[in-house]
Formats: sequence, structure tokens, C-alpha cells
Amino acid sequence: MRLTLQMLISHGRVARRMGLGPESRINMLRNILTGLVRHERIETTLARADEVRFYAEKLIDYAKKGDTDEKAMKMASFWLTEKDLVPKLFKVLAPRFETQTNGYTRMARLPNRTNLDRAKMAVLEYKGNPFPPLYPVKKENELTLINQLLKGYREDMAQQLATKA
Amino acid sequence: MATKSGCIFIQRRFASAAAAVRPSAAEVRSHRNAVFLREQSRQRALFPRIEKIEVSMQGPGLEGTLLVMNKGMSTPLSCARHLTEYHVTSSVLALVDGELWPLHKPLMDSCALRLLTFKDRDPTAVNQAFWRSCSALLGQVLETAFKDDFTVELLRSPDVPVTSGAFCCDVVLDPQLDSWAPSQESLRSLTRGAQLLIHLDLPFEPLDVLPSVALEVFSHNKCKQEEVVKMASENPTGTLQLYRCGDHVLLSSSPLVARTGLCSQFEVTALHSLGSGPWGLHRRAQGLSLPTQLQAHHTVWNKLRKRAEKLVRKS
Repeated sequence: MRLTLQMLISHGRVARRMGLGPESRINMLRNILTGLVRHERIETTLARADEVRFYAEKLIDYAKKGDTDEKAMKMASFWLTEKDLVPKLFKVLAPRFETQTNGYTRMARLPNRTNLDRAKMAVLEYKGNPFPPLYPVKKENELTLINQLLKGYREDMAQQLATKA
Repeated sequence: MATKSGCIFIQRRFASAAAAVRPSAAEVRSHRNAVFLREQSRQRALFPRIEKIEVSMQGPGLEGTLLVMNKGMSTPLSCARHLTEYHVTSSVLALVDGELWPLHKPLMDSCALRLLTFKDRDPTAVNQAFWRSCSALLGQVLETAFKDDFTVELLRSPDVPVTSGAFCCDVVLDPQLDSWAPSQESLRSLTRGAQLLIHLDLPFEPLDVLPSVALEVFSHNKCKQEEVVKMASENPTGTLQLYRCGDHVLLSSSPLVARTGLCSQFEVTALHSLGSGPWGLHRRAQGLSLPTQLQAHHTVWNKLRKRAEKLVRKS
């Protein structure tokens, strides 16, 4: 996997260094991931959201194995610091993504933080949540006046082509 | 009172003149207008006491809205005026208890009201009403476009679906004009006439009348009178719907849109001759129009216009 030159010369150490050390980083990401599973949409800095995203997808992959699987249960109880979320992971999130194989999350940029520093902000969510959509839904209506006119035009053109050929 | 005596005067004058000379187009128009206004004021006078009705609004963002309106006086448009400017400008038709209702027709009872726009989930009824109103507008333009020496008689316009590409209006011109073929310039001047009416933003005022009143309105036009009798026999209640747009009175079987200003792009594309019929040489004027909310890029518009030049047949 090579996305950038920096990633190539990092010799595989592609994770960001954040927090007070590797263990602190993992703990921080655990807390954020717990929040994500609880609220299904969270707002955090871009770097943290990007880091958590990998683990959030991985956790769903494990959860799909079912709650009888030993490894899956171990992962769930490690990554979710609040244990009441473990049933939600297996009963709600895993069935929701049964048809998908990847891409369970969605990330979008937010304006930079203004009150504390200028950190880049982002919003991270699990797909299929009950909140209003992040991006405006594209409205396509075949029945509007102009679309009906264009439909008639297309049919006319197709007929002309058929008679010519 | 003054209008009534004026009407009687006009009627008498027509009654005596009908046998001798054909009345001029302006006289015919003012007669129709006068009869229409008399009937309208008569119907308004039926509700001397103000009674209140409750109108519950339906539609996105309007759930639970209850308006207290005046019976026989408030229209769906006055309900829209209680909401926002968006509702006033974008409403085309109303749906009163599941029945299509012109925007300027007074409400008679407590009802559930939904305002329809061009951008609804299913705007088929609105599109059809728009198409019908455009052909009414085209008829109005044709009636006023010629000099007073030439008679113009509008026939019943066929109701063509939107997908056929053009709305049309059947017309019989003066026998002197039988050899006349319209040039591009004359079509353009018709277009300009229509755009003038659109700019004036005239409302289509509906009025339910008995066939006798409709016969009086169209007392100078044999063809329209036949149409009145036919439509009255088709309608189970026996009433007819007249519309007035500016000083043009027309007959319509189904509701028209609120006002002419809803059209933005409008073009008269062709005037075909259909061969001679019972009233003379039948001609079919065709046009294309789009509302303000759904405008087309000029390349798309040109393609649609080229298609609208082809003769539309009744399906």
C-alpha cells in the first residue's frame, strides 16, 4: 500500500503518532470508537476521525462473525469501554451491514475549529443511522414537466433511428 | 346596479345588431366580460354574512396548521397568503379533499387543503393543467392578434398529453385568410403577444355557471354554443366552468393554473392547417412553454422547440 511518498519512506509505520505514546493513542481511539458506536455520528478532529475509521470498520468485520465467536467477543469487549454497547454492536450494527463487505463508515470535513485552535475538524458516522443526511439528497423526479418533455423527445429520436435503420 | 343596467343595454344593442352586422371583436369581448362579471358578483352576493370555516393544511412543514377562513370568500390563494411567500408564488393548483381546485375559486366548506407545485413528487395533474392553461393563453393571443376586419373563432382545443411535446389550440380564421401562411416573423409576433400577457401576470379566475349563462356569454359564437351544450350534457352536475384571463373569457372542462406569470419560457412554434371542417379551414396553433421553476438551458430548449414544430395529433 503506497498512497504518498511519505508513506513509502515511513517503512510501514503509517499510523499517526498522537497522544502520549502508543498506549495512550490506543486508549484515546477506544474512547472515540465507543462514542461512535453509542451515538453513530460524532464530531472530532480530522486526524482522530481518520485514525478511528480503520478500527471502526474492523470492529464491524469482527462483529459480523457473531457473538458466539471468541475472537469477536474479545475485540468487542476491548474496544468498547462501556460494556452495555456490546449487545448493540452484535444485534444492531452487525445485521445492518450484513449485505456490505466494506465501507461501513462515512467521513466528511467540517470547518476548522475556531474556539481553541485551528484544527481541522471532521464528522464520522456509521452508515444507515437515523440522523438527517450529511450531504443533500439528490432529487430526481422523472415526472416533472421538463423531464416528461425530454422523455417524449428521447422516444421520438429512438423511433426516428429505428425507421432509418 | 349600474353594471346591471349597463349589461342590459349591451344585450339589447347586440340583440338588435346581431341580424344586421357582425359585432366587432372588442364589442364581443366586452359583452362576454360584462356577463361574466355580472354572474360573478351575483355569486359573491350569495354570502352576505361572513361565516367561518376551518381549513387544515397538508404538505411538508404544514402538518397541524389550521386556518380559520371565510366561507364563500376565501380561496386557496388566501390560505397560501397566510403561510409564506414561497407558497404564494409556487402554488399552481390546490387539492381540496382530494379534488383538484383552481387557486382562485372560493372554498365552500371546512376541508383539508394541499397546495400543489411543479416540483411535487407526482406533478402529473399540475403538468396537465399547465399545458391546458398554455393552450388557453395561446387562444387568447390568437384572438387579439389579428386586425378587427378578420374574425377569429376558437374551437375546442384537444387535450394533448405533455409527452407529445407541444400544446395546441384549434382555431378557424377568417375565410379571407385561407391562403395565408404564417411566416417566422408572424409566429414571433404571436410569441411576443403571449409574453406580454405573461408579463402582466393575469389571474385565471374560475366561475361555475349554469349552461344558460354560458350560452349568453357565447351568444355570438355558434361553435362555442354547441360546445357548451355538449359539455353540459357530459357533466353530471350540469354546470360549466368559465375562466376569465384579463378580458378574455373561456370555457374549460378541467381546472387551469393560478396565473399567466407561472410561465417563463413561452414560444409559439407552428400554425398548421388541418383541412376544412364544418366551420371553415381549421388551423392548429402549437407552442411550447416551461414554468419559472423548471427552466431549460438554451440547447435543450432549442431541441424541444424543434420537436414542438411537428404537428401534434390527438392520441
